[in-house]
Amino acid sequence: MATDLQGDHAQTTDDTGRARIDVDLRRLLLGFGGLLGFVGLWWVASLFQPEFVLPSPAVVAATFIAEAASGEMATALGQSILHWVPGTIIGTLLGIVTGVALGWSRLLDDITAPVVRTLRPVPPLALIGFAIAWFGINNAGAAFIIAVGAFWINFYASYGGVEGVSEDLLDVARSFGLKGDLELVRSVVIPAASPEILTGIRTGIGRCWMLVVASEIFGVPGIGRRILRASNNLQVDVVITYILVLSLMFLLVDTAFRAVQRWVLAWR
Amino acid sequence: MSHADGSMVQIEGVSKRYDGDQGPVQALEDVDFGVETGEFVCIVGPSGCGKTTLFRILAGLEPATAGEVLLDGQRVTEPTPEMGIVFQEYHLFPWQTVRENVAFGLQKAEVSAAERDRRVDHLIDLVGLDGFADSYPKSLSGGMKQRVALARALAIDPALLLMDEPFGAVDAQTREMLQGELLDIWQETGKTVLFVTHDVEEAVKLADRIVVMGKDPGSIRQVIDVDLDRPRSRTDASFGRYYERVRELI
Repeated sequence: MATDLQGDHAQTTDDTGRARIDVDLRRLLLGFGGLLGFVGLWWVASLFQPEFVLPSPAVVAATFIAEAASGEMATALGQSILHWVPGTIIGTLLGIVTGVALGWSRLLDDITAPVVRTLRPVPPLALIGFAIAWFGINNAGAAFIIAVGAFWINFYASYGGVEGVSEDLLDVARSFGLKGDLELVRSVVIPAASPEILTGIRTGIGRCWMLVVASEIFGVPGIGRRILRASNNLQVDVVITYILVLSLMFLLVDTAFRAVQRWVLAWR
Repeated sequence: MSHADGSMVQIEGVSKRYDGDQGPVQALEDVDFGVETGEFVCIVGPSGCGKTTLFRILAGLEPATAGEVLLDGQRVTEPTPEMGIVFQEYHLFPWQTVRENVAFGLQKAEVSAAERDRRVDHLIDLVGLDGFADSYPKSLSGGMKQRVALARALAIDPALLLMDEPFGAVDAQTREMLQGELLDIWQETGKTVLFVTHDVEEAVKLADRIVVMGKDPGSIRQVIDVDLDRPRSRTDASFGRYYERVRELI
């Protein structure tokens, strides 16, 4: 059989590598410039305000260093991680499993639709009573609040992803003798929906860092608790310090996850 | 007009009715023909003649309203590994490499890992894609994707290759090349091929026999034996006569 691929070109994907590095560098420089501008504006604004309204970047930097040096920061971060990690993981897994199941099965979807639509608009914060009653003022209670947040984001991302899976790909799988929900979901539905599922996970991870503050509102110690207590004492420099900690944590986890995402979705 | 007795594939009185928005639609009416082992049969007809519906019924992806399809005497009610299926738009699994796509059908087959690798490598070679085994479909051209789809269908070593307008989505030059390659593979492997197309020239070029379909309702107009030596050239007078004969029926 003829093996020449004349008139039948494969696209090459690596000749753009050089240009990409230039674009990345440009973007990095622009972003750094933007950040400098923002801190500059903040500094100028702080000149005209008393410190308890808006402390200057220098004051915040000093507080940041002091909090880090005293070990307070590490303690608070460690405490938050104790509920952020289990809350995010449990909520994410349950959200994906439920989303895939309901997105795939018309029957399950029809049965659960009224319940889902009733529960969906409930904000995680409104569930604090249940967190306390069911789990207590502890990491489990805070993890529950975070898990609820992670659940819905992952539920809808997975549900949408599964709904969008091409019927044609399922036909191909069926034509090769795959049948039954489990086989088709494992071999076709989950890989085909993986871009949406991964986007859901990533969005959820960010949302869960936001929920750390809410989840500690009823007394569980951690970064959120530290922010709330400092707010009550008008220690705005401490508030900003721990907001920065949350931002940095988000940035760290998000960057790491984005790398995972790129690697898993190399086929795209 | 039943030629079907004792054939490898017997299509007996197959009809299909859909309940459309404006009442029932008769997509297929009493389709009846047979395919012999090793034969290359083309089903040709205009769009809307129900040939894709017929393809799906033959593949076991959709039930007929009446009639039945028999493969080696066995009634087809669901997809079977005796049939390798190639779809119009390739439908490769984009998250799998060429190698993984070709091996897809073998996950259900009882084949050892060594045998599977050997077979997959051989097929990738057969369809001229050596060097692309670890590429993802996104980096392949249409013609290359259809080669992968063909290799994927051949991997399960089916007795029958069932193809739905497989070369409809590629440019003319690539189509001609793929047609030639398919004939080579057919002659090399001795598979039976049932090939759906709307392209009359393609049917005359490829088929031992052409099943000509018409629409409203989708049914067989005539079955024509193509008595031409291969390779066939469309500039031959006899090629033109077959072409005109099929054209007039549609």
